[in-house]
Amino acid sequence: MIVTTQKPLDEVIGFISPYSNILIAGCDGCTQPPRGIKEAETLSQLLELGGKPGNKNWKFKTITVAKQCDSYLAESVVRPEMEGVDAVLSLACGIGVQTLAGLFPGLQVFPAQNTHFMGSESREEGFLEDMCSGCGECRLAITGGICPVTRCTKGLLNGACGGSKNGKCELSPERDCGWVLIYEQLKRLGKLDNLKAFTPPRDFQQTGWRITT
Amino acid sequence: MSETVTQEVVAVKQNEDYCSSCSICSTLCPYEALKKDPETGKIFLEIEKCQVCGLCYATCPAKAIDTIYYDVDSLTGYLEKAKQQYDSDTLVIMCKGSAPDFTGVDDMFGVSKFVPLSVPCLGRIPEEVLLKAVVMGMSRIYALACDEDFCRFQKGSAVTERRILALNLLLEEFGYGKEVIVLKHNSLKVKADTDLCIACANCVFYCPYDAAKLEGRGVVSFDLELCRGCGLCVAMCPALALDLENWEKERISTLVSQISSRARQPNILVFRCQWAAFPSLDAEELAPNIGLVDLPCASRIDIAHVLQAFQEGIDGVLVAACAEDDCKQEKASGRAEHSIAKLKERLGQIGLDGRLRFCTVTPRYPEQFGRELEQFNQEIKGIASKEVEK
Repeated sequence: MIVTTQKPLDEVIGFISPYSNILIAGCDGCTQPPRGIKEAETLSQLLELGGKPGNKNWKFKTITVAKQCDSYLAESVVRPEMEGVDAVLSLACGIGVQTLAGLFPGLQVFPAQNTHFMGSESREEGFLEDMCSGCGECRLAITGGICPVTRCTKGLLNGACGGSKNGKCELSPERDCGWVLIYEQLKRLGKLDNLKAFTPPRDFQQTGWRITT
Repeated sequence: MSETVTQEVVAVKQNEDYCSSCSICSTLCPYEALKKDPETGKIFLEIEKCQVCGLCYATCPAKAIDTIYYDVDSLTGYLEKAKQQYDSDTLVIMCKGSAPDFTGVDDMFGVSKFVPLSVPCLGRIPEEVLLKAVVMGMSRIYALACDEDFCRFQKGSAVTERRILALNLLLEEFGYGKEVIVLKHNSLKVKADTDLCIACANCVFYCPYDAAKLEGRGVVSFDLELCRGCGLCVAMCPALALDLENWEKERISTLVSQISSRARQPNILVFRCQWAAFPSLDAEELAPNIGLVDLPCASRIDIAHVLQAFQEGIDGVLVAACAEDDCKQEKASGRAEHSIAKLKERLGQIGLDGRLRFCTVTPRYPEQFGRELEQFNQEIKGIASKEVEK
C-alpha cells in the first residue's frame, strides 16, 4: 500500500484560505487506513473548526473515489460534483492528487496528505514500513524476499557495508541492517550461495516515466 | 495511593455480622471478588476485583451484602412512584445491555403503555423486588435479559432465567396465574451495508471476537453469533458502512444535537460507557450544564460525533470509559483511548485539544465519575475565561 500521513492542519488551512467552495475527495484505494468518505468528512469538520477563529466561510463537499489514481474512474466520480467548486483537496497519495490536477487543469488541487513510501503495515504493532522502491528490476527472488534497494539504507546491492553492527544500521540504531536480514533469511533457506553472484549496478533507466499498457 | 483507596466510598460492602459464610456469593461471583478464606472459612470481598454486577446482593440469603446501586428500597420506591407516573400495571424491566427503544418494547412484548425500568444487568434484581411489584398490583411483568453469551457480567443472564423460572412457579402456587413474569432475551449487534463496504478489512482487524470476515474477493460479512455489540468496528469503518443496532450513528448524532442546542455555559458533553458509571434510578443528578450520552462500550466513540459536538458549539467533551482491565469487552476501551489521543493530537493543531479529555472510571467507586466531571468542568471554565480575557 501507499503510506501517507495527514499534513499539519495549518498548512492545509493555508492552501484553501483564498477559496470558498472546496471539494474534499477521499480515496478508498490502497492507503491504510483508507482515507475514504469518513476521513473526508472528518477533515471537513476539523477545517471548519480550525477556520472559525478567522471567520472563514468555507463550504465543503465530501466525496470518495474507489481509486483516485485511475483517471477514468476519478473523472467519472469527481466531474459530476465539480459545479461551483473553486478548489479541490485530495486525501489520496501524490499520484491521486496529480491525477485530479491533470483532469481539472484550471483548478487548484491541493494535497491533504504527505506521501511517504510504498510499504506494508504491521497492524498489531501499529507501524507502516517502507518495503519497495519501484526499481523496475525486482531482485527479491535471489535475496530471500527482502529488498536490498529499500531495506538497506544505502540501497547496496552486493552485501552489507562496514557500518553494519549487531544487525543494525550505522545510520540509525533502530533500523535493521537489510543485508543481515537477507543473510539470515538465505541461511534459513539454505541458499547462501546466492550471495556469491555479483549484482551489477542498478539500471536507473528501468524507473522510466511511462510504460505502455 | 492505598490511603485514597481506603477513604473512597465503595459500591459494594459485605456485612460480616450477617454473613453465615454459606458460599453462595463466592460460587456465583463471576470475577472471584468474593472468596472463602481457606483458613478461617470466612467470606471476604476484594473490592478491586468487583465489577458491581449485583449478583451477590440479589442472591445473599442473609442480606449480608450492601450495595449503593439499585437496592431493594430504591427499586421498590421507584416502582411505587413510577406506577403512578406511567399509570400502568405492566412493568418492563430491561438490561441496559440489550434494551431497545420504546417502540422496540412494543414490537417485542406487544405493550405500548408500561412502567419502564432499565438496569445494568437483571441479575441484580432480588426476587423480593419482583414479588413486591406483584403485590403492588403489577399484573404483568416483562423482563428483558441479554442473550446468555451476550451478558456483560457473564452469569447475570443465566441467573435471571433460573430466578424467574422459580418465581413463576411460586406465584402460580399462590394463585397469581401462570407465567406472571415473561422473560425474553435480546442482544444488539452490528449491521453492515455491504453496498458501502470497500473491503479494507479494518473491521476484520479490530473485531475482538473474529465476527467480521472478509473472504475471497467479496465484501465483509459478519457472523452475528460471535458479535458482542461493542461497536468498535462501527467507529473504525472508514466507509461508514457499519452501524450498531440501537446505537445508530444517526441516533447518537441526534442526542448530541439536542445537548448542544441547550443554552448552557460552559456546555459540556459526556460520552460515557454505560458500564463505567451507574446512574441513580431516577434522572441522574448532573449539573445543568452537563449533557450525557451513554455508549454501549467506550470503543463505540466516534470521532465524527466528537467533532460534530464542537461544531455545534459544545465547549468541552469528556469521554468516560472503563479501565482496560474492567472493560466488559475484550480490552476495547484501550482502542477508544487511542482514538481519542489521535483526535486530540489533530485538535491540537487548531488549538482545541484542551477541550477533549479521556478518563477511566468505575462504578466500584461511585464518586469517581462525579469527581472527573467536576475537574473537567473547571478545566473548561478556565479555558472559557481565558478566551474572554483575550
